[in-house]
Amino acid sequence: MTFEIDYLALAPELVVAGTIIAALLLDLFLTRSKKYWVAVLSVVGVAGGLVPIVYMLAEGGTRSMFDGSYVVDEFALILKIVFLVSGYLVLLMSVSYIEADRYYQGEYYFLLLSSILGSLVMSSSRDLIVLFIGLELTTGPLFLLAGWRKGDAKSNEASLKFFILGVLSTAILLYGMSLLFGLTGSVEFTAIAAAIPDLVSEPALALSVLFLIVGFAFKASAVPFHFWAPDTYEGAPTPVAAYLSVNSKAAGFVAMLIVMYTALPGISEVWAPALWVLAALSMTVGNLSALRQGNIVRLLAYSSIAQAGFMLVPFAAAAVAGSDLAQAFSATVVYLVIYALMNLGAFAVVIAGARRTGSGDIDDWAGLGQKDPVLGLLTALFFLSLAGIPPLAGWYAKFVMFASVIEAGGISTLVLAAIAAVNSVIAFYYYARVIKAVWLDTPSEELLARPGREYAGSIKLTLAISMGLTIAIGIYPTFATYFGEASRVIATGGG
Amino acid sequence: MIVTAGWYMGLAAILFAIGALGILIRRNALVMFMCVELMLNAVNLTLISAGRELGTLDGQVSVFFVLVVAAAEVVVGLAILVSVFRNRATASVDELAELSG
Amino acid sequence: MTYFESYLTVGAFIALGALLVGVVLVLARALAPSNPSAEKLSTYECGVDPVGSGWSQTYVRYYLYGLLFVIFDIEAVFIFPWAIQLESLGMFGLIEMLVFIGILVLGLVYAIRKGVLRWE
Repeated sequence: MTFEIDYLALAPELVVAGTIIAALLLDLFLTRSKKYWVAVLSVVGVAGGLVPIVYMLAEGGTRSMFDGSYVVDEFALILKIVFLVSGYLVLLMSVSYIEADRYYQGEYYFLLLSSILGSLVMSSSRDLIVLFIGLELTTGPLFLLAGWRKGDAKSNEASLKFFILGVLSTAILLYGMSLLFGLTGSVEFTAIAAAIPDLVSEPALALSVLFLIVGFAFKASAVPFHFWAPDTYEGAPTPVAAYLSVNSKAAGFVAMLIVMYTALPGISEVWAPALWVLAALSMTVGNLSALRQGNIVRLLAYSSIAQAGFMLVPFAAAAVAGSDLAQAFSATVVYLVIYALMNLGAFAVVIAGARRTGSGDIDDWAGLGQKDPVLGLLTALFFLSLAGIPPLAGWYAKFVMFASVIEAGGISTLVLAAIAAVNSVIAFYYYARVIKAVWLDTPSEELLARPGREYAGSIKLTLAISMGLTIAIGIYPTFATYFGEASRVIATGGG
Repeated sequence: MIVTAGWYMGLAAILFAIGALGILIRRNALVMFMCVELMLNAVNLTLISAGRELGTLDGQVSVFFVLVVAAAEVVVGLAILVSVFRNRATASVDELAELSG
Repeated sequence: MTYFESYLTVGAFIALGALLVGVVLVLARALAPSNPSAEKLSTYECGVDPVGSGWSQTYVRYYLYGLLFVIFDIEAVFIFPWAIQLESLGMFGLIEMLVFIGILVLGLVYAIRKGVLRWE
């Protein structure tokens, strides 16, 4: 028996895994006042993971291991970049936030890095077992991170709710997987796809596909499986909420798309309508609930639910219309890249704003623009981008989404496009409400009296990176298009 | 009477349904947690019997990973529960209503 | 013998066991003299009477041991298939397993250094 292990293909995972172990050891031997070195190590390690990815992208080609169960193609590399960069930004915004609490610093970075490693594994997985391991490694540490502030009842509750629903979704997902394995006789996606045509009339197959969708939808917090999200985001530390809304959501989402696209294209008449309904419900319910929120983190939680709906639109539309799925795939990846950047920026603004105003309520943010014009401008920038106003990156995400729906054609896709259009308008209203509070409302005496504190360098860097990329992609969208085009390579990957 | 793999699959389906029902109607976090374990074991039973019927090892290999992940989740879950118990002496999820959805 | 017929043996054993217990109980009732006193009716005739409710709380430190045990116990599941295939896997398999166990040991060292195993 021989093992062909391509160490270059595994290099990003190995670098992150090495960083995890080093962080664990470093945490043991550092005194409390020197714990920030764990943060430095984590940030460097995640950035180091990007180096082999860039090298492999430049080299091109597909690397496949373990009989095609683990594939590193351009699609996987692009996703790894998304996960690593967003993980990098979350780590940066965590530094000052976690340091302020002064306890459990080492474990925080250990758990966050483990979750990043999970999403890296997940994006290369081309069989059910690897996919499951990757997905669980992504969400497992987050149960603990959500309950980070141990003494705080809200944080406890956030963690418990997230945990019970997360484990339930895992069980449902696994049952779907086990049925799929029993029916097709394989855990590998290409073999499953090959076995599907003979089984289309089997009712258990439809059942297993629906179970899979329910499981993934829980992880991606799509309506009607979103109940845990707002509570968990509010109770969790804000950087963890940012991570949940970007990396963890994207992981569930991408896992769903990989399975549907590579393993189950033969039975799209079962999952296409389900995705259509998920997309429509997520957009509508997410946006309507966001209208009523007074807390900015809850607002972002509902907004991220709605954004997940937008993200699903191209794929659902193409599947319902029976048109080219690869086109929809690249539209979804473009949306995902842009969403990750602007949403992380918005969360960084929330962290900075909460420090400046001492509150997470939108009403208390009144007049923040007068007190701190730079932060006020950044708030406007990220929230306008989320709303999809040109020339910020968000407009291009929306543009690509609508373009791919129109390309798909057909009545049901047009209905979906109409729902998406109406929702974009609703979304603009509540994003604008935050900007109005920051710039047009009169500041309270209390806010003006608060001493102006300097922000930590790390949070400034987070804001600078996400601001730079949001503006750059908005003005020069080819950059994002590259990501979308490259991600199509999954069609030929999979061994 | 011959017991085929189908019987085990049926048993697994029943176990899964009992677990799912338990999650929906029980309100004690610890009991809900046990129901999830029941569901995971139903999955294991399905994987094993399908793997045996098909004559491949994939099913059993999957069970290894499911087992380990389930154990890791047990540990995480109990740790969270202990932390909740320390702050408030209850395990009922209904009494946890600090954050309203 | 089909699958269910092999259960007949189990059934016979259960029936036999029940019968035996029944016979002994009846015999004891028939033969033994009955002469109860307060001392004899107490729960533990030659022990300490129980105090408090049966639902006592367990010290929370005990859970930490339990949790650690579950994790390390279940990881052993990966060692079994490796042990069976040890020879065909060769050197590569050995190093692979050493890395795996090394990471587990690291976890144990971490737990010890963090004072999880200290009972104070």
